[in-house]
Amino acid sequence: MTLRQKMLLMLALTVMGVVAAVGWTGSVRVRHVFEAIDRQQTDMLVGQFQREFNQRASDTADAVRRMANSDVLQRIAFDLSNGGDSARYLTVALPLAQEYRLEYLELVAHDGSIISSLQWTARFGYKEPAIAAAGKPAFLKQEDLPDGTSQIGLFAARAVSGSDPPLYVVGGRQLGAEFLRDFPVPAGTQLLIYRNVSGPFDAHNFAGSNEGLAAADHYRALVDDARSNGNKVERVVYLTRRDEDSMSVTAIPLKAASGDVLAVLVVANSQRSMVEVQRHIRDIAFGIAGLGIIFAVLASLWIAARISRPIEELARAAGQVAAGDWETRVDIRSLDEVGDLARSFNNMTRQLAEQRERLVQTERVAAWRELARRLAHELKNPLMPLQITVENMVRAKKLPKKQFDEVFNESTTTLEEEIENLKTIVGRFSDFSKLPKPQVVEMDAREAVRRVVKLYGPALEEKHIELGTSITAEPLLIMGDSELLHRALSNLVLNAMDAMPEGGTLTVSAVRAKQTARISVADTGTGLTPEECERLFTPYYTTKQHGTGLGLAIVQSVITDHNGKITVESVEDGGARFVIELPLAGTAEA
Amino acid sequence: MFRRSAISAQWAWLPLLCLTLPAVARTRPHYGGTLRIETQGDPWQMPDGTARRLVLDTLTTVSDAGGAQPALAIRWESQSAAHRWEFWIRPGVYFQDGEALTSDTVAAALTNVCARPVAGMGACPWKTVRGVGPSVVFVSEAPEPDLPELLAQTEFAIARQDSTGAMIGTGPFRVTGFANGALTLTANDDCWSGRPFADAVELRTRRTVRDQWLDLSVGKTDIVEVPPELLRQAQQQHLNVLASRPVDLLALTMEPSGWFASREMRQAAALAVDRTALYNVIFQKQGEVTASLLPQALGGYSFLFSTERDLDRARALRGGATTSALTLGLDTSAADMSATGQLAAERLALNLHEAGFNVQVAALGSHAKAELLLRRVHFEASSPQAALDEMLARFGQNSSVSGTDAASLWQEERGVLNTETVVPLLWLSRAWAVGERVRDLRLSPDGAPLLAGASVEVR
Repeated sequence: MTLRQKMLLMLALTVMGVVAAVGWTGSVRVRHVFEAIDRQQTDMLVGQFQREFNQRASDTADAVRRMANSDVLQRIAFDLSNGGDSARYLTVALPLAQEYRLEYLELVAHDGSIISSLQWTARFGYKEPAIAAAGKPAFLKQEDLPDGTSQIGLFAARAVSGSDPPLYVVGGRQLGAEFLRDFPVPAGTQLLIYRNVSGPFDAHNFAGSNEGLAAADHYRALVDDARSNGNKVERVVYLTRRDEDSMSVTAIPLKAASGDVLAVLVVANSQRSMVEVQRHIRDIAFGIAGLGIIFAVLASLWIAARISRPIEELARAAGQVAAGDWETRVDIRSLDEVGDLARSFNNMTRQLAEQRERLVQTERVAAWRELARRLAHELKNPLMPLQITVENMVRAKKLPKKQFDEVFNESTTTLEEEIENLKTIVGRFSDFSKLPKPQVVEMDAREAVRRVVKLYGPALEEKHIELGTSITAEPLLIMGDSELLHRALSNLVLNAMDAMPEGGTLTVSAVRAKQTARISVADTGTGLTPEECERLFTPYYTTKQHGTGLGLAIVQSVITDHNGKITVESVEDGGARFVIELPLAGTAEA
Repeated sequence: MFRRSAISAQWAWLPLLCLTLPAVARTRPHYGGTLRIETQGDPWQMPDGTARRLVLDTLTTVSDAGGAQPALAIRWESQSAAHRWEFWIRPGVYFQDGEALTSDTVAAALTNVCARPVAGMGACPWKTVRGVGPSVVFVSEAPEPDLPELLAQTEFAIARQDSTGAMIGTGPFRVTGFANGALTLTANDDCWSGRPFADAVELRTRRTVRDQWLDLSVGKTDIVEVPPELLRQAQQQHLNVLASRPVDLLALTMEPSGWFASREMRQAAALAVDRTALYNVIFQKQGEVTASLLPQALGGYSFLFSTERDLDRARALRGGATTSALTLGLDTSAADMSATGQLAAERLALNLHEAGFNVQVAALGSHAKAELLLRRVHFEASSPQAALDEMLARFGQNSSVSGTDAASLWQEERGVLNTETVVPLLWLSRAWAVGERVRDLRLSPDGAPLLAGASVEVR
């Protein structure tokens, strides 16, 4: 990833992060505000419900009290106390309830048996335990109805004034849809009452607005929890999968005097407004983030012109330097840190070029010195005998002819030998300088190895050197010059033989290693120091007393001309191992 | 002295005689006027059938003392051990359109009746009916010793339809109009049984009892119905009430299938029923608590069937099994069954609930699939054997009564009731409140007002 891309990404992420943080904070804040409003609204509705509940309780108790004091009931009580037939009053509850606007009404004899029931006329004669609450404040009561359902009502019980034995009135009003209908419920809020709490959940037990009843089935878990634990339960209920159709629902259990839960008041506030505001904030955040990204792109372009472009030029120039172009320079366009960096880069490349020049000069001088030293050393040896021989011949001129002839013959022989020696030395130098270009053909590297092993086998035996070979069975086809490779391998074997004057083991192997033919020549001689390993292939470097230092240089030159590679390593148990890797045919670079 | 006194005494009661004469004149029936009657039920269908009774006649009628008496048939004779009956048609009887009544028209009318079975009525007791000369011959597969009495039932009234499709008969009134919910029937001057006293009858149907009573109180009608549960109230209000003998049986029937396939379950349900509460409270001590298909006065053995509630035994018979929701339906063919019947059904459901049955009362008119049905069955027969026959037919029992003595009837009835598919609860009377204008109104043995014999006091 380029610096420009990184800067673009960083700027975009920064902008998006900031926008996301602001959006999230706003959204959370909005949610908290709406939750607070929901709570206030719920508390307000619950408070209002409580007030209406108390008012209705008071009205119910008052209606029952007035009825208990009425002349009609006092006459009925008098009639019954004088042996009157209670059957005559089977349906008297209906007109009385209409007169006192009660929805539930029962006249109950002193023994608790019902004389007349408005809500379930057929229950006459059955017991009504609610008379135990006669004279007490109004109470919640679940009333069973003939159709098998139950209703919740606010009831009050009272004995008819002056009745002896007492005749009781148990009257009540429904706590259902009618009761809720009078509530000023804000838009988006539902107020429901769940009745008949004893059985399993049934959405038909809800009373309230039609809108609320349509969603009643979704409040099952909430109502069940409120019924089971008797405490207020708050939860968010999703009517559909869409967030805006979620409701913040509070279920408040309504309890009888005994503490039993008789009904559950459900206040549900729509979260549509909150979700819409949150969505609005999110849309704004997305818009700002989009604009931020565009801004980041433009800003990065501008910054690139100011910052990243010089850095990119520096990076490109550094790459060119690495590729060997030491003359690369960058333009200095500013006076800031980037300009200083460019200036330093130019100084650095300039100094590197100068140092390289000096190094080349130094190496060239060193090479010449080494060559001179080597030449001096090589030529010095034959010159000394020549000088001595010439001096002998000069001194022999004074000797008798016979002796002179002997000395002369001996001296000329010596001169010829030393001159031949000089020619050999000069020839080697000449060979190194005139190493021929390899004439490559497809050949099997194993054959070159076998040829060398076969050639030097007898000589190895004479020097008590044991030969070990490891040549793979599969062909190692390479593109090579067999003569030059033979010469190189011969050099390595001869070096090995020189390294083991007291005998040892020579191991020659030829194997396939990935896409190369790997030939190794290992001896068990005195081995090499790390410094020797490093300099061994340098021309004119030798570890031998009478070596020219050109053998391994020639080997390296041959292997390099075959696109191969030669390395040397010291073996742990002593000795050295030369490893040649030559590309197999078809894989070698052209 | 004694003679003067006697003469004085004779003259003394002359003013009294003068005072009495208008009273005597008032009690004598007068022709003319319109009788106004209001009912809840269908005027052409039983058990109400007020118009049907006025327009049509039956071959026989039942007397107050029991037994059949001649009507459109002047005599009858059974043959082949009551397998064949021959009824001689009264000569000189004409339909209201002037067509003479013949044995063929009678046979055709009776065949029509059997071709259109009426709800609550059993199958026709004969196999074939045909006119043979002046007589009509009935042939049945089983002996039908009560056929003369059965033919007195209003279902078997002789009717034909005129060219407009209107029903016409040979009765004392004929239909002359229908306006504003009131059916107008005019006196048939040529009726074989004599012209009725009233010139016309205005029959207003499908009126609630409350409206009927209101109309009676303001003089808008002359005759209204009094349901049993309001009979005491009517008496307390000093209405002129005519009540029949028990003619309606309130009974609970159980479908012997499903949960009630077991007789023990049916018996448990029967034992759970509290008849006393129905009698004392819902029907305001009117009628007769019963466990029999015949009233005590008619059968004489009703007391042998126990009416006691035995809740413990009911629970024991039901066992611990949990019942699925059972439905108790209400037979609303009796028009005045709606409110009181619903209340009685709810009470029975409570009774059954105490015994462990989960029973819900079905909405009115939706008893098609009810396991239990509360029915109010009307009967017209006046002899025990015919009455039992009629009741068995109305409850869909296939058996027919063979014996005539009380012991045989009891055995017969016990056999039926032991199946526990019918649980008789209460015998109820029919009653009517009559306005001050009406004179000489009597009720038929089955509780219907005999309007042809009543007259209207025209002031």
